This record gives sequence, C-alpha cells and structure tokens, in this order.
Amino acid sequence: MSAMRAVGAVNPIERVFREAGVTGWLHAADIDDGREVALRAGEPVVLASVFKVPLLVELHRQAERGLLDLTEHVRVTAADRVGGGTGLGVMLDDATLSIRDLAYLMMAVSDNTAADVLLARVGREAVNTLLDGLGLTTTRVLHDCRDMLSGMWADTGAADQSALTQACADPEVVARLRALDPALSNRSTPREMTRLLAMIWRDEAAGAASCGAIRRLMGLQVWPHRLASGFPFDDVAVSGKTGTLPTVRNEVGVVEYPDGGRYAVAVFTRSLSTAQNQPRADAAIGTAARMAIDQLRNHADRGAVHI
Amino acid sequence: MDLVRHLGYFLVVTEELHFGNAAARLGMAQPPLSQRIRRLEEELGVRLFERSSRRVALTEAGRLLVPEAREIVARVERTRDLMSDLARGDAAVVRAGVPADLGAAVVAALIAGFRDRRPDVRLAPVEMGTAAQVAALLEGRLDVGLLRHPADVNGLDHGPVLVRHPGVLLAEGDELTAWATVHLGDLAGRDLVLFPRDAEPGLYDDTLAACRRGGFVPAEIISTDRAEFALGLVLSGTAVAFGAPAEVPGVVWRPLAGAPLAWRCSPAWRAEPGPYVRDFTAVAVQVLKDSAGMVDEGAPPTRRVAPRPATGFLA
Repeated sequence: MSAMRAVGAVNPIERVFREAGVTGWLHAADIDDGREVALRAGEPVVLASVFKVPLLVELHRQAERGLLDLTEHVRVTAADRVGGGTGLGVMLDDATLSIRDLAYLMMAVSDNTAADVLLARVGREAVNTLLDGLGLTTTRVLHDCRDMLSGMWADTGAADQSALTQACADPEVVARLRALDPALSNRSTPREMTRLLAMIWRDEAAGAASCGAIRRLMGLQVWPHRLASGFPFDDVAVSGKTGTLPTVRNEVGVVEYPDGGRYAVAVFTRSLSTAQNQPRADAAIGTAARMAIDQLRNHADRGAVHI
Repeated sequence: MDLVRHLGYFLVVTEELHFGNAAARLGMAQPPLSQRIRRLEEELGVRLFERSSRRVALTEAGRLLVPEAREIVARVERTRDLMSDLARGDAAVVRAGVPADLGAAVVAALIAGFRDRRPDVRLAPVEMGTAAQVAALLEGRLDVGLLRHPADVNGLDHGPVLVRHPGVLLAEGDELTAWATVHLGDLAGRDLVLFPRDAEPGLYDDTLAACRRGGFVPAEIISTDRAEFALGLVLSGTAVAFGAPAEVPGVVWRPLAGAPLAWRCSPAWRAEPGPYVRDFTAVAVQVLKDSAGMVDEGAPPTRRVAPRPATGFLA
C-alpha cells in the first residue's frame, strides 16, 4: 500500500529522469539566498569533463599569483593530442595558442587536448589543494583526459579510439569501465559543484577579474542540447560545462533570469542504454534543471526542498 | 415598434404572471397590453408566454429573454440618465473615459473615491477604448480619460504613467500549469484571446510585438473586450489570455518570467484641463494602485537578449 503510494508520489524531476531512461543526481541552489532543491545531491558522481571547471579556477588563481602568464603562447604538437571529438585533438597540424585561448577551447568545445596541456601546467595536486581550500573535499581530480581514455582502452582491450567506441556499445563492457566508478575517477557531488559555481558567480572562488573571465568562458560553451535546452528563452542566460562518457551525461552551470535571479545547477545522469545518441537523455538535463529552478523561483516554497 | 418599451411591458408581465395585474401596474387596460405582448412575440418570432384561462407561464424562449431584456432596459435607462445630465449642461459632471476591461471593483472604487473627494461633482464614467477616448477628448466629448500607452497623445496632456505586468491565464488542465512561472516562449502555438485592435491599437501592437520577441506567435488571435467571453475561451482550453489573476474556478494564473509585457495606463486630458481633472487624476492613480495592482513606472525595463554561441550569428 505504502509502496503504491510512493509510486504515485514520484516527484516530477525523478519522473523526467525515468522517462528519459536515466538515473539522475541533481542539485540546484539560488546563488543569492541559498535555497536549494536536491535529488541524491550528496552522493559521489563521476565528473567526466566537468573536472575542467575546477582546473580552470586553479589556472586563474595561479595566474593571479604570478605562477603563470595567461597570455604565454604554448605550442601543441602531435604528441600532445588526446582523443575526443573536438578541438586540437582532431586537428592535423601543430598549433600555437595562448594559455587563455587553450582555456577557451577547453570550455567552449570541451577540448581534451587543451585540458591536458593546462592540467600539466597547473598540476593535479594544486587543483586538489584548491578544492580543499574551498571546502570541496569530496571533489577530486585524479586523472587527465589521456589517463581516462587509456584506462578505458585497458578495461575494454581496445587497441585504438575506434575500437573503444565500438566496444562501449556493449553493456557488459561498459559495466567494467573504472572510469565510470566515482571512487576511481574524477569525482564530486552535485552539491559541491553548485557550491563551486556559486563561489565563481559571487567572485569568491578567485579574484573578481578571474571569476569574470571564468564566467565568460562558461557562457561561451557551444552545446545547446543539455542544460540550455531547458531554457529556450532569449532573455535567460545559460552558462555551463558538460561531461560525457559512455552512459554518463552531465552538465553543471548557472542560469540567469532577466529579473536578476541566478541559480547554480548540477545535473549528473547515467543511462541504462549504451546508445551514444540519446537526445531525450540530454534534454532531460535541461528539463530537470528548469523544474528545480522553477521550484526555487516559486516563493511560496520557502526553505529547502528535499526530494 | 419601440422594442425597448415593449421589453419593459414584457418584464412587468413576467413579474406578475397575470395580464390583469400587470396592466393595472402599468396604468393601462388589459387588451392593449395583451396586444403589445403579441406584437413583441411577432417581432421576435417566438411565443413568450403559455396562456390558459387560469394562468400565464413563461415559455423557454420567454425565460431566455428575461435577463437579456433586463440588461437592455437598464442600459437604456442609464444612457438616458447620463445624456440628460449632459444635456442640462451641468458643470458638476466629469465625463471620464475608462477602459472596458478595468473590472467592476475598480470602476466602483473610482466612482466612490471621486465622490469622497468631490461630493459636489458627479463622475460620469463612459466605457471606451483608448482610440475612442483620444478622439472624444480632442472633440470635447470627454473631460478626462484613462488611456493605454502607447497612444498618440498629440494635443493631450497626461498624468503619471502607471504600469502593470500581466501574467497568463491558462485552463486548469493545461500542462503549463505545472510551472510556477511561464515564459512567453512556452505559449508557442497556442491561440490568444486579446482585446480588439480597434479599441487599443497601440497596446495591441505592443503586446503582439513582445510576444513575437519572446517566441510566442499565436496560432490564432481571438479579439474580445468581454472579460467573461475571454475567460470562457480560457476555461475551455481554446486559448490563453493575458491579465491579472482571475478568481474563476478552472482558470489558473501564472506570472510571466521576466515580466516581458508592460501594460501602461495614465489619466489624460485636453491641453487645457477642465476644472476637476486634477481631482480625477489623483483619485484614479490611487485607485489603480490600490485596486488594479498597478505601480508607478520606474525606469523602462530593457529587454536584453543573452547571446548563446550556438544560436546567435553564423553558427
């Protein structure tokens, strides 16, 4: 009886995830008054490319301290290229870019090669020390993109990127991937990610100029299919960073309303299906985020909404 | 035939349900009254009463006619009263144009508020859209009006501009009621019920332009200035409407995110204001704030398009 009632009472955000064939973890917070909507928001999740956000913060903090120069030019050669479908990794010739333009590619199109060049500059331990300093102690950056990919090659026995893509269509193979285990991979929780975003938007994660530069890059991300798909409105600004691995679709970001309301939201999903093209799963991230933000904007619901 | 007078006879008969008693009340003999009711029946092409030797009863058509007849007779009486006041050239009347959809409570508050402030002067409100008010003000047929902006106010002066940000009225079963706030773009593909363009040309165009900017191009626009009719269309799920919350079961109101619609209103008068215009303006501004949810217009809100790399130029 109570079980039946529980089924009938499935909260609408949970229903959106179910209908898209995914399990979802979500946290949304009003950046200015701290009210929140949470769904499994304290559980560890795999970051995938979302790890590029704390990396970007540490990059700017090192620049603030004079440890690196964002305008310094770096030569990216064939040896630096990492798998992934965008950016420097798929280009055929060596390129020279400034550190801050590498950061742009890392955020705009999730360029893995750019991310690895920057992480090598900044150092993983430095990123984790920053996270400790910000109180984000569940969030860890253990691997760069090359590590993640080579781990998946090892787990699947694939000899190259093409073989890995084919192998990851097999649910049994996907089940073996260590990259999909939060304990063994770059990880965080939805709640820690919205805390990081809120600190970036309140100029607390770094100096105000750095936070402004980070916000600019997050607003230049090109993907319209996940978080942004929930807000197809010209007067709503959406900034974000996606993360994608086999069965993993994530995005964290900030949604800003024309009335000044601004909301940090972190959505992490795992799909049952191993199909790579799942537009419904991508769109569910946007829909769930809008539902959570709609609850935060409904001032009748005061205080925390735990679901 | 004088339809209004005949409807008056009809109403007396419906109250008495006895031709003799009704004739006595009207101070006339029974045969001419019976004859007039028959002529009304001929004029309308229906039987209004079932007559037997013992009793008189309304037919279905007669029952339907009662509320209509009451309204027609009452309106004609009101019009006569108003015109006779004006004909007397009574300086103690302020002729004020008010928009059709102001609402009963606001009109009542307007009249009561003016009566409190100037007990010696009678406020004669006339229901009129902005286009008609502008013409009537310029021609001297109105002393003061409540105009919707934008309007062509050449030759007129106007008082403080008040603004209201309407929300959207939806049928209870509409899936959009799941949201606490609705975006204009969410309404895409729905029909819209809106005041007629003839009555409010400026605001009509302004509202539709804002809708198009926000991603809402109504599949069809149904024009009416009758609030009841508009609510009926909303209730049936046929169309959505913009406005203030309506206390109607089955209709749900939601605010529009970002307040994309701004409906502005101000008292207006001819370049040389009549003697009581200042009083009317003071009362109207207070009533519109207290009873119609309007506020002083602050800095005009600027609508900013937030650029996105994949949806802007040349992507």
